[in-house]
Amino acid sequence: MDTSVLTGDGSSTVFPITNTASSYWNSNPETGDEDYWPSEWAEEYGTDKRLADYFAGLYGYEATGERSNPAFRVSIALSHSGTGVEGVMEERVDIGDSSASAEAELAGSDVSDEEMDNFVDHVVGVDGQPIVVSREIADAGVEQITLDELKKIYRQEITNWSEVGGPDREILALGRAEGSGTDTSFRANVYGDPEASISPDQRYGQNQQLAQAIGQADNAIAYIALAFVDPEGDTPPLGLEIDGTLYEYGKNLGSKEYPLSRDLHAYTWEDSSRKEAAFINFCLSDFGQEIFVQGNNYFKLPQDRLETQREMVAPSNYE
Amino acid sequence: MLQILQDGPRRITRRARDYRSRTEDGAIAMHGLVGVWLLLAFLLFFLGSQWTIVPVLGFLATVGYGWVRYQAEAAKGMTFLTTIVTVAILALIISFLLLRSLPVFGQMGLDLLTKTQPAGDLWGGNGGQIWSLTPMMVGTAITTIIATIVAAPLGVAGAVFISEMAPTRVREIVKPGIELMAGIPSITYGFIGLTIVNQYLYTEFRTPTIGNYFAAGIMIGIMALPTIVTVAEDALSTVPESMKSGSLAMGSTEWQTTKSVTLPAALSGVSSGILLGIGRAMGETMAATVMLSHTKGFPTPFIDVFGGYGETLTTVIAFEGGNASGLQMSALFAGGVVLFFMVMVLSTTSLFVEWRMEKKLRGEQ
Repeated sequence: MDTSVLTGDGSSTVFPITNTASSYWNSNPETGDEDYWPSEWAEEYGTDKRLADYFAGLYGYEATGERSNPAFRVSIALSHSGTGVEGVMEERVDIGDSSASAEAELAGSDVSDEEMDNFVDHVVGVDGQPIVVSREIADAGVEQITLDELKKIYRQEITNWSEVGGPDREILALGRAEGSGTDTSFRANVYGDPEASISPDQRYGQNQQLAQAIGQADNAIAYIALAFVDPEGDTPPLGLEIDGTLYEYGKNLGSKEYPLSRDLHAYTWEDSSRKEAAFINFCLSDFGQEIFVQGNNYFKLPQDRLETQREMVAPSNYE
Repeated sequence: MLQILQDGPRRITRRARDYRSRTEDGAIAMHGLVGVWLLLAFLLFFLGSQWTIVPVLGFLATVGYGWVRYQAEAAKGMTFLTTIVTVAILALIISFLLLRSLPVFGQMGLDLLTKTQPAGDLWGGNGGQIWSLTPMMVGTAITTIIATIVAAPLGVAGAVFISEMAPTRVREIVKPGIELMAGIPSITYGFIGLTIVNQYLYTEFRTPTIGNYFAAGIMIGIMALPTIVTVAEDALSTVPESMKSGSLAMGSTEWQTTKSVTLPAALSGVSSGILLGIGRAMGETMAATVMLSHTKGFPTPFIDVFGGYGETLTTVIAFEGGNASGLQMSALFAGGVVLFFMVMVLSTTSLFVEWRMEKKLRGEQ
């Protein structure tokens, strides 16, 4: 049984999920440790084993019964999506964290299709960016816009809030830095082309600055990371309507059809080893989704996708 | 000119013979050995070798021994070495900048600096094939002009007051105060600009964006102010007292003396101060980065400094350097090259102007 250290590297977006999971895993807390492995959760799984002992046990690892001593240790490093994907491909690490698909990350390099097939794609969570507006706009009664209107706003074809049912006030469209992952995925998902030309009024480098600007302004619209949405404060969310479906904050932003969502991947190379499967299954468990994914302000996988993902690493494959 | 060319080799051989006869053999060996060690260390370091430590230790040992045996020669060698290192670092930076900007120059040619159409797709247009620095050069020009309009009159007036009019006690307080202004970190100015100036213009005058060339230009102007005051004040105070006394003795008032004697005599020094201030304004990064809107384009009309666009050569590097790759990265390096040459021209001009003033004043003494 392979008990060497499980290593991972890659995207800073996926890092919080896999890293929090690895911290919990490595500490191997006993049931009843209310902070890390509460009895309610243990009861739900019907076990009295320690956290990592239980999840590794599903894959035939023997329980150590000791704190800070799991069946194998997990170590997650922090870099970029591309680095994570290459690390897996060159077998430097076991798990490659990536916030974009491996195909997109390796686009333009000379990796053959056969080699690409060796990537095993495990989606551990979903990142979704809500549309937010300035407080004044939300208070004036603007609750939702359509995808078409959003496209026009970021191309300066709609420039006044009155055109989308708001007050007679100019629109201040805020975006992210050119070349950043968020900017690229916004173009790709909203306009269907990562090279699409858009012309926001202002660009910001970080979510914090963006949130501050939305608060300062009384006519701004922006897309921002989930953690910075404040429905009662300065950054109220806006619904987005696409083909008759309304996507709303707190309801269905994690769904695959929402254009500002993206999958968070944990890639493995040439099938998943027992060790990799045990850890990824841990991230995909209800406990993992709640604590590591939702706890880090990402969206849990919807139930149907969760089932598919779990089947890929099911313990029954390793008997 | 020809004379110098012919004289050159002869003078070098004379200097070499001079060095040979005045320096002990051991010291010459030390100089030579230090040179070899350093060259070796640089080469190994460049190749990424783990043996770099050997020549470095050799260098330290040679210098240590040399310092004990031939202290004067060792000191001479070391000071000479630091000069070489400074120049070498400059040369390495320039060649690195040029090397990294070659790809985008190959792709764009002179269009890199002159392309103005299509206006919406100058940065990353046509599937990441078009990278033109023109909008950013215009942005740099606009912010620099606004900053100069703010800083030059204020700076010169301040310098005249401090140097010619202020009572000693006032000067003793005001001058260090202005020099202190130069010590305030640029992000502090930027933060004030971001939270106060930007916000004021946006809420009171409904500017289309939060932050524009006008607001950034004003803040940069304030930042360039101490440079201008300090250099201009130095120039005014180097005007020989005899010139002023002469004018006063002829019956002119103090203001007439300042206006017609001191200022014209110090004119080149004052203008070199303004040029240095402009250089400072052009290279200012942090304050402009937090204040501008980071959208690229040409204001219409050209003088619409409140318009929606806001990006300069420095801010685009600071803002996008972290995410850029490929041609975009190369374009940012090209932006660095453009900035470097503009600032270099400015500071050489100001050095030249200062040199001329010194020559002129000495001649008249």
